[in-house]
Amino acid sequence: MGAYMSEKKYTKDHEWVSIENEIATIGISNHAQESLGDIVFIELPSVGNSVKAKDEICVVESVKAASDIYAPIDGEIIEVNNNLENDAAIINQDAENEGWIFKMKISDSNQYSELMSEDEYKQFLEQ
Amino acid sequence: MPFAGFNMPINYKTGIINEHKNVRNHSGIFDVSHMGQILIENNESYLHKLEKYIPLQLKKLIKNRSHYSFLLNKDGGVIDDLIISNIDIKENSYLYIVYNASRKKEDEEIFISCAPNAEKIYNKNCLFAIQGPDSINVLKNIIDIPNNMNFFDILISKYNNNEIIVSRSGYTGEDGFELSIPNEIAENLITNLLKNENTMLCGLGSRDSLRLEAGLSLYGHELNEKITPIEAGLSWALDKERLEDENLNGNKVLSDQLKNKLSNKKIGLISTSKSMLRDGMTLFDNNNNEIGKITSGCFSPNLKKSIAIGYIISEFNTDNPIFCEIRKKLELVKINNLPFVKKNYKKNGSVYE
Repeated sequence: MGAYMSEKKYTKDHEWVSIENEIATIGISNHAQESLGDIVFIELPSVGNSVKAKDEICVVESVKAASDIYAPIDGEIIEVNNNLENDAAIINQDAENEGWIFKMKISDSNQYSELMSEDEYKQFLEQ
Repeated sequence: MPFAGFNMPINYKTGIINEHKNVRNHSGIFDVSHMGQILIENNESYLHKLEKYIPLQLKKLIKNRSHYSFLLNKDGGVIDDLIISNIDIKENSYLYIVYNASRKKEDEEIFISCAPNAEKIYNKNCLFAIQGPDSINVLKNIIDIPNNMNFFDILISKYNNNEIIVSRSGYTGEDGFELSIPNEIAENLITNLLKNENTMLCGLGSRDSLRLEAGLSLYGHELNEKITPIEAGLSWALDKERLEDENLNGNKVLSDQLKNKLSNKKIGLISTSKSMLRDGMTLFDNNNNEIGKITSGCFSPNLKKSIAIGYIISEFNTDNPIFCEIRKKLELVKINNLPFVKKNYKKNGSVYE
């Protein structure tokens, strides 16, 4: 098939992004999940919306606070994780796999290359 | 997170919801050493001066009992809410007062002006609360607790030959105890309590969701210097005889408020969606008129919905729908009687009056 699964990258807003065949899957990092605490609700983005990097596109509510989720790169929202509607705590259990939030068709793959690698993100967290 | 000048944990490793449920079902331990604790000699002249601020008959307080009360400013507004107890320590009679960390400066100015030799004890005594239906069993293993001790009773007990102040009280709506423990033995005592596998350390996050479910007010949210205890729905805690006494700050304002209609009322709210109600959100009627604000909101682990306390204008007929502005959208919320979760105190007869 020639499917290309990229390495996982991270944003300074504590989101992770992985890309397969020009489709990006996005969620919040395990570190973000830990600092938010128990997540009780997520307002998912609307499928079909075209968004720009840094746009606020959805909200995660934890027992502590509401946090905006930003689009990490430009693109179109093509799918959301509907399982989170009934059980947002999936993000606490498995933030970087089952807890994915939405998928995008990306317009500019250079934006992706500019994000942090896992090692760079770890260093960023230590600062 | 920083809280009133202290670095306090919001939660420990299992999270707010788990800590909250453990307190409702078993027990949990809160380090509340940031709170103010002061001893004031039970001396008639001091009590008379304090009665200017505190709406109780201080000379008539029953020994070994605690009372929920306030410091009032001259307009009857709440400078702080506090727990005041009458206890003997080493054969001297004292008022022992526990007050909010965020109000130490204001409160202590008053305490010292009334009783110059008042002794702040929070630098030498830690304050811990153990809360939940199992608290009594966990605590009885290491400290003598008389069987007839009721909610808001207070006494001096001993641990490793040190005196500790034990009150049956707390701020979660559950049975429980607060322990004022000399610093030197605090770690040993708490470690000993934590040997019970059904109890755990709990942080500020669950303390807030527990008190909110119990409909209890928090200073800086439901209470401040511009709100009187009557407006906050706490007139039960005022000694009505004292409202006739001109020595009491704001006595005229308070007795007028008791007789007349108030401009605002305190209400409980419950979310109809999964959105979270939070402090500061604005409430509207169905014609988009602003009718009030939320003062505290959280996720209720017991009701599995967001709950809140707020104030609305008294003229509003609560049969009509109320909307809360959540991230620029208006969402329907429902009125719910306070408390959201029934209180579970141990008492024979009434705690107050």
